[in-house]
Amino acid sequence: MTAPWTGRILAVMRKEVRHILRDAQTLAIVIAMPVIMMFLYGYALTLDIRDLPTLIEDPAPCSETRAIARAVDATTMFKVVGTVPAFGDLIELFRKYHVKAVIRFPAGFGADLRNGGTAAPIQVLIDGSDQNTATIVRNVAGPLIQDEVLDLMHIDPPKPLTVDPVVLYNQEQKSALFFVPGLMALLLMMISALLTSLTITREKERGTMEQLLVSPLRPWEVIAGKIIPYLALAAIDGVIILVVARISFGVHIHGSVLFLAAASTVYVIVALMLGLIFSTVAKTQQQAMLMALPATLLPVIILSGFIFPLASMPAFFQWLSNIIPATFYLQLVRGIILKGVGPLELWQPCAALCCIGLVFFGITLRLYRVRL
Amino acid sequence: MNFIRLIIWKEFAHIRADPLMSRLIVLPVLAQLFIVGYALTMEVKHTPLVVVDRSATPQSRSLIASLSSNDLFVYRGTAASEEQARALLDRGAAKLALIIPAHFARDIERLNDGAHVQLLIDGQDANSASVAAGFASAIISQWTFARLGRQLSGQGIDVATLIPVSVTGTVLFNPLLKSSWYMIPALVVILVTIITGLLTGFSIIKEKEQGTFEQLMVTPIKPVHLVLGKIIPFAIIGFLEIVVFLAIATLWFGIPFRGNVLTLFLFASIYMITSLGIGIFTSTVARTMQQVLFMTWFIMIFFILLSGFFLPVENMPHWVQTITLINPVRYFMFVVREIFLKGSGLADLWRQAAAMLMIGVAVFGLSLAMFHRKAQ
Repeated sequence: MTAPWTGRILAVMRKEVRHILRDAQTLAIVIAMPVIMMFLYGYALTLDIRDLPTLIEDPAPCSETRAIARAVDATTMFKVVGTVPAFGDLIELFRKYHVKAVIRFPAGFGADLRNGGTAAPIQVLIDGSDQNTATIVRNVAGPLIQDEVLDLMHIDPPKPLTVDPVVLYNQEQKSALFFVPGLMALLLMMISALLTSLTITREKERGTMEQLLVSPLRPWEVIAGKIIPYLALAAIDGVIILVVARISFGVHIHGSVLFLAAASTVYVIVALMLGLIFSTVAKTQQQAMLMALPATLLPVIILSGFIFPLASMPAFFQWLSNIIPATFYLQLVRGIILKGVGPLELWQPCAALCCIGLVFFGITLRLYRVRL
Repeated sequence: MNFIRLIIWKEFAHIRADPLMSRLIVLPVLAQLFIVGYALTMEVKHTPLVVVDRSATPQSRSLIASLSSNDLFVYRGTAASEEQARALLDRGAAKLALIIPAHFARDIERLNDGAHVQLLIDGQDANSASVAAGFASAIISQWTFARLGRQLSGQGIDVATLIPVSVTGTVLFNPLLKSSWYMIPALVVILVTIITGLLTGFSIIKEKEQGTFEQLMVTPIKPVHLVLGKIIPFAIIGFLEIVVFLAIATLWFGIPFRGNVLTLFLFASIYMITSLGIGIFTSTVARTMQQVLFMTWFIMIFFILLSGFFLPVENMPHWVQTITLINPVRYFMFVVREIFLKGSGLADLWRQAAAMLMIGVAVFGLSLAMFHRKAQ
């Protein structure tokens, strides 16, 4: 004996699935999006800096400067695109050659070294417009070039202290490990919140919502029937992401898959709730879309710590990030996939995500009673 | 010509009457500027740091003090053991852990192969990790050489004679390495795309959805005139937005505009050929507003990710770099930043202009042809 409400929910679900399947274009986007975004991020979001176009300014070319230029070119970071004699206007140099760095030898460099003296410093001029790249280059370039030069000249510099870096959780510094969690947060939010808010406003627009409400269906049955298909769609997308990440980018889940599934389910439910809130407030699909798109996607991309480190933001934005579900989901996914830690270490984001979920649930219930 | 003027007039009336359109014209500019200006920063600051100090000597404390005395790191105290430090990293309470060995004070006196310290780095966010580790290494090496210099000068040796070659780094154009100086200029590109690409698409699809498109088609207005009448208002609004944007970027955020405004306008108009073309394309292919939004968004994600907006194109694999050669956003993004921060002129950027023009003509021509065929 099944309860009578199962049949009613199933009926709503069947109707919703038919709606989804009919809109082939949106469905194609929903399925193709994760795969395409994975490859796009996988190849485009490469974080290691390599082949930085570099110009050598050499007023007096000699065997030493040429050897140094070759050594610089051989590093992965720099790529020497040319050598110019002494050039007056530095700004003009950057404008004209579109290079990111200029390595500038002092005038008597070779002669000074041959005479056993100390040469004037080699200058590395960095185009600071791209702040991130320039920061890394500034930290690395000096020691890197200095080591190359000293190596070339067979000089052993004093080394009273050496730093041995040990990278944890992502030893190879693969960018895939960095963006897969973010992509999960982004796509699950999009499918759950955006599509759900559209489906209910569509019924409202067409006037079929009233028909559903006067039917023997209880409101919560309508809602359940409407959101379960999207829950399934989100699950499919989540699996696609993880499978593509595994096969193409070698991303292994270090922690418990079950815990990951549970965390994702909670996150998706929170997102669905958000979608329901938008759909009760909005009157038309267009309004729902315009509310849901910036309100769901922007916070995930900007304020969750996906790309931009939260610790560097002003206090107000850091505070704001604490009411965004994706912030905590991201911590959970990164913790599970990369660190392989369990609920014991991750109880804080777990609790936070559940709290946000409860608040959203309360708001949804209230709005639903009033508006529908 | 009269027809075009009529359509333009009608379009402006529509934009004024439609609260959605006017909101879409004003809100994205302000929202983006302020979010990007304040929140969207790739700068790495306040990295939580924990130290395991097995040495517990004045030397080790001096090293810790040099690391914790700036806003790059937030010193979270010492941990008793490496296990405890790792537990803090596991919980996310620290992102960096410095482990100072027991014989640190003794080993550091040796000139060659002296002391070793270990730096545990939370590598989840690969970029922040490498930047933070780079800062830590740089500070530690400064501390070491300052100490070495003092030590050797006590013995009457100049440290410079031991290392005959030195390398200094200088940062140009953005000496304080501010994220906003790089990101805010790039917003022009996104702004122009929203106004001319998305809103043009919206405006045409609205006529289709409401059935007024057929009415326009049976009038003596030619499709070309209709398209021109539709796109000119958005091009005008686009230019006005650029002016507002420039005012906020320079006056509020204090970002230097070192180039020529006319050069920027010239490139914006070349870019608009492409983005208006995209607007015509999406509205021709799509049936609903929602589809226009999805398509535009989809195209833009591709273009922006592969444009060097966040991460430089040079970092990408070569075959991806080849693909970016047909990406109009890549050129415009590059040009805007060059004009803003370096003050580059047309003489430096004519190659980009030529590429953008070619892409624009191709995209616009194709879209117009499609529109024409559909309209018949």
